[in-house]
This record gives sequence, C-alpha cells and structure tokens, in this order.
Amino acid sequence: MAAGCIPAVNLINQAGGVLGHKLECVVADTRGDPADAVPAASQLLATQSNLVGILGPSSDEADATAPIFNDSKMTMMGDTGAASFDQNAYPYFWRLTPADDVKGTAMAIWGRQKGFSHAAAVFGNDIGSQTDVPTLVKAFTKLGGTIVSNESLALDQGDYRTEVARMLATNPDVLFIEADAQTEATFLANLKDLHGLIPVIGTSLDQAMYQAVGGAIGAQNMHDFYTTIRPLIGSLGTSTKTYDQALLASGSQVPKPDQWISDPFCPAHYDEVNLLALSMIAANSTTPSTYNSYIPQVANPGSGKTLVYSFDEGQKALAAGKQIQYVGASGFIDFNKFNNSTTGFEAFQFQLDGSTVSLGTIPIDEITQANS
Amino acid sequence: MSVLVASIGFGLISTSILAIAAVGFTLQFGVTNVFNLAYGSVMTGAAYAAYVANQFGVDIWVSMVLGGLFGAALSLLINRGLYTPFARHGLGLAGIIQVTLALGLILENGLQAIFGPSYHSYQMSQGPSFHFGSMVFTAVQVGIMGIALASMIGVHALLAHTKLGKAMRATAADAPLARSCGIRTEFVTDIAWLLSGLLCGIAGVILVMDLQSFTSTTGSNFLVPVLAAAVLGGIGQPYGAMLGALIIGMVSEVAAAVTLPQYKEVIAFVILLVVLLFRPRGILAEVASLKEVVA
Repeated sequence: MAAGCIPAVNLINQAGGVLGHKLECVVADTRGDPADAVPAASQLLATQSNLVGILGPSSDEADATAPIFNDSKMTMMGDTGAASFDQNAYPYFWRLTPADDVKGTAMAIWGRQKGFSHAAAVFGNDIGSQTDVPTLVKAFTKLGGTIVSNESLALDQGDYRTEVARMLATNPDVLFIEADAQTEATFLANLKDLHGLIPVIGTSLDQAMYQAVGGAIGAQNMHDFYTTIRPLIGSLGTSTKTYDQALLASGSQVPKPDQWISDPFCPAHYDEVNLLALSMIAANSTTPSTYNSYIPQVANPGSGKTLVYSFDEGQKALAAGKQIQYVGASGFIDFNKFNNSTTGFEAFQFQLDGSTVSLGTIPIDEITQANS
Repeated sequence: MSVLVASIGFGLISTSILAIAAVGFTLQFGVTNVFNLAYGSVMTGAAYAAYVANQFGVDIWVSMVLGGLFGAALSLLINRGLYTPFARHGLGLAGIIQVTLALGLILENGLQAIFGPSYHSYQMSQGPSFHFGSMVFTAVQVGIMGIALASMIGVHALLAHTKLGKAMRATAADAPLARSCGIRTEFVTDIAWLLSGLLCGIAGVILVMDLQSFTSTTGSNFLVPVLAAAVLGGIGQPYGAMLGALIIGMVSEVAAAVTLPQYKEVIAFVILLVVLLFRPRGILAEVASLKEVVA
C-alpha cells in the first residue's frame, strides 16, 4: 500500500499539494484481524485530526471497520475483494479492487478460451481463496466445461501428495489454483514429481509467488505451464510510466521499490490517492463529507470530459474549468452505483527472469455475461 | 483404492521427516526437561545453513550434513548461552517455555532480516521416480526414508547399547541420582543438545528438500505436528516419538485420501486428543517407565 501511497503523495506535493495543503501517508496497523482493527480504526479517527481519507480497509477486517469509517463520514478506498461489498451500501466506501468472485469467473473464461474442458479447482481453505470457487465452478460449467475435482487445501502443510493423487484420479486437463505461495509451491512440486505438470491457471503475480513456485518446479516449468489471471493493468502509457517513475524515485521511503513494479495493487493505491486529491480540488474542500460525492465526477467517463493521466494534469484541467476523467495507472475507472469499479482482467505469463508478459485480456462485459 | 494405497506410501515420507524431528525434540526434552519451542526455528536455521553451502556448489547431501552440524552447534550454544543461565537464575518451567518461544521468534525474524522475506530453493534434482504398485517415490524421497531409518537405528543403538546412552537414560530418569552415581550429567546434557540439534538440523534440511521451497517460517509451521508426534508417543520417549510420528504421518495422509483433504491435520489431532484422554502420558510412557524399572 505504501508503494502506491508514497509515490502519489510525493507527486501531489511536488505539484503544490491539495488546496494549499501537503499530503502525508500515515500508517495505522490493524494487525489483519477484526479484534485489533476495530480499536485501531477508532484510534485513527480519534487521534488524526487532519485525516482526509483512508486507503483500506483490507479483506481481513473490512466488514468490521467499514461501518466505523462510514459512520464517521470518512472516505475509504477499500482494499478488499470480499463479495460482501459487491452491492456495497456505504456511501463512503469505494473500491478499485475487483471482487474476488469476479476473478473466479475470469479464470473460467480464460480456461475455456484456451480449450480446456475438464478442470480441477484446488483452492486454499482461507476465505480469500474460497470466495473465487463458486463463480469459477458456475461460469466454467455454464461455458461448457466440467469441474472434475474441487478440493480445498489446508495451508502450509508438509506435503500434498495425497491431494495431488486424488486430483489426478479425475484426469483434469487444467488446474485452477489459488493459495499462499508456500502451499502452491508444495502442491505443484508434488504434482511435478508424481505425474508431471499440467496447465495451471493461478491468480498471483507476486514475486514471492514466482520465487516459491518457480523455485519448486523450475523457472522453465513456471513459464511453460503457469498462467496468472489478474486485474487489468494494460499499457496505458502516460499514467503507468508516471507511476513507475515516481515509485522508483521513492527508494528512500519504499524499500526495494522495483519489486512492486508488476504488482497490480500498488498502481491502484496510487490511483486512489490521486482520486481523493482530485475530488477534493473539484469540491474545493478537503472535508470527506463534502468531496466524497465528487469522486465519480473526476473518475468516470462522460461526454465532453478531458482525459487526464496524472494529478498534475487533473488539477490544471480543473483549474481551467474543465470536467475531467482520471485515467489511472491501474486502468480505466468507472464506478457503478455500488461504488465498485471493475474494468476487466488480464492473463500473464512469467518469464524466466521473473518478469511477466500479458497474454490477453478478459473484458468486463464478457465477465458480466458469464456471471449472469 | 489406488489413491488409498498411494497415500500409505506418501505417509511413509511424511513419517520419515516427522520421526527425525520428533525424536530429536523428545530426546532433548527427556534429558534436559526444556520444552524447546525454538526447535522449529533451529530447523529453519539449519535449512538456511545448508542453502548457503548449496549456493557455493556443495552437493545437497553434503549440505544436509553441514545443516545438521549447524543445528547441533546452534542448539548447544542456545542451551549454554541462554537456557542454562536462565535455569540457574531459578526460572521455572513456564518461564523457560516463554524464553524458548521468544528465541524462536528472534531466530525467525533474524533469518528474515538476513535472507529476506522471499522464498528459496536448493539446487538439486529429485532424481528418477520409482513405482511400487500405486506408490511413487523419487530418488530423494527414498534417500530421506533411508536417512530416517538409519537415524532411528542409530538412536536405538546409542540408547540401548552404549554407556553414553545409558548415562542419558539415567540422567533423564533422575539427574541428581545419576550425578551421585558418578555420571557427568552436564556432559550428558551437552551431548543431548548436540544430538537433538543434529537431528533437528537434518530434519530441517530434508523437510526443505521435500517441500522444494522455503522461507523463514517454514520450520515453525512444521513444529505443531512434531510436537504432536512427540506428545502422542510420550514426551521424552524416543521410541514413543517414532511411533507418534508414524501415527501422525500415516493418519494425515490416509485421512486426506478418504475424507476431505482440508481436514487431514484436524483428524490427526482428534486422534491425538482421544489417545491422550486414555493415556495422558502418551502411548509408550508407561511401557518405557516399566522398562526403566526392570533395567
């Protein structure tokens, strides 16, 4: 999150700040569970008098803390794919992160597009992974495929040989998988040893995943067999380049900033800060209860709007009296009535050096149709 | 049926790793009475020591030996430098457990600071696969099972047929009495830590050889089944730890074959609880005690 917030704040402050105010990223540790997050949220609201917006809450505690921030009329940019926010009713909650259940549909579409018809679904037994499963199964079946094996994995076990044997007994031609890096690495290493790899469709672009799985099955096998489905990043020219440059220039504040270049969430956090800042300027107020309703005005497409690709471009256009559409480093943004913005997914392939290349996109229209 | 048969073969591999780790843990506890929750982190430390050697081109099996020696040295150092001074200051059993827990976290975070939060892998091949009916083993897994068997035979030979082994059993049974009988209990304690650390280190390296990818928390994640195996067999009883490892390892794999796989560990622990309900000191505790009396 810092890898998105800090570069954005640096650029905003270099451009003069927001309505004369300099921005700052402040960390509030929710410890990843509701019991700690609720007092942490209350403390944040009580002690930060100049708080103007929140990046988060995250998946582990969003259900517990989103109502607190909403009641305090504090704008938040949810960092959660939880399906409970698909039809979000909190006006101060906004989400660029695609819903997890949508990701399952995107995986199914990609699998069917590649001609796979008999799929194994192997997901960790954590809530984040399990959320993908119902829509994956529904969409893959609807598109004419069959889920021949659907297993949940206990995370971080010493081995998954028996689970692999169970899966292989159903003769799948593709494996859909999502779990933490250690679990995926062990499972796929066991698959390689027992049978040999089959095509794998996963969901992580993290370097940790590449190091764990690539180390376990070999970089060449990861390149040949492993495809990742992630939120659409696209190549949006100016905004992506601006973010990348700002990220790399923030090395004194973000340790090893280059590791976040291919992470799809960091550009989203960068965009979230820019959206907050531009909506404050559009509303001529840094008060969340005032600027909150301006967020879709500076983000969503509309006739006659000027496309802007950075905070600086946006503030200049607003100063010139223009209506703007901010095009983010994470892609186009279009909030629906539930304050959710999902613009599609993209398939990636790991290269031998750990970098990734795009294999194609899965448009949101196609996902919506398969999900209906 | 073939998955069930295969799971029994897979259980042998799990059992092998678990047995080495559990025997090392229980051997040290039996002699020193320290419930060492830093054991998993020492396993990880040894895995990293082997990783460093392996990165310099040292063969993985030689690296495993080096990892074992690292584990032995580190364990001895931990006892001499930390646990013994705390014990001398009168810290009780619960206090020492807190110290071991704290040390485990310090070691884990220290390893993360040195090697980073990412994952590492050994430069090694799993070798050819061997098929025995529905069972499949790679050459490395056969090697792991061989090492486990040799370790268990070695521990048995040490305890049953050497003076040192008898001294260890005497120290475990009653240290003051053993001391009054002329046994150098401090020396025996050092040997117990060395031997425990050696097995701990070897277990850490072969765990990673089997997992094929590891990070600073890998050993700690494996600690729970190690403790379960040690407690199930009768804490402080090496033969009990072997039996406990066999039960935990086999039940986990067979449960994954015949029930929902995500509950395989749960089922193993349910069995642990049921056994402890009827035999609170573990399966072999009473048997071993009787043997001591007879001897």
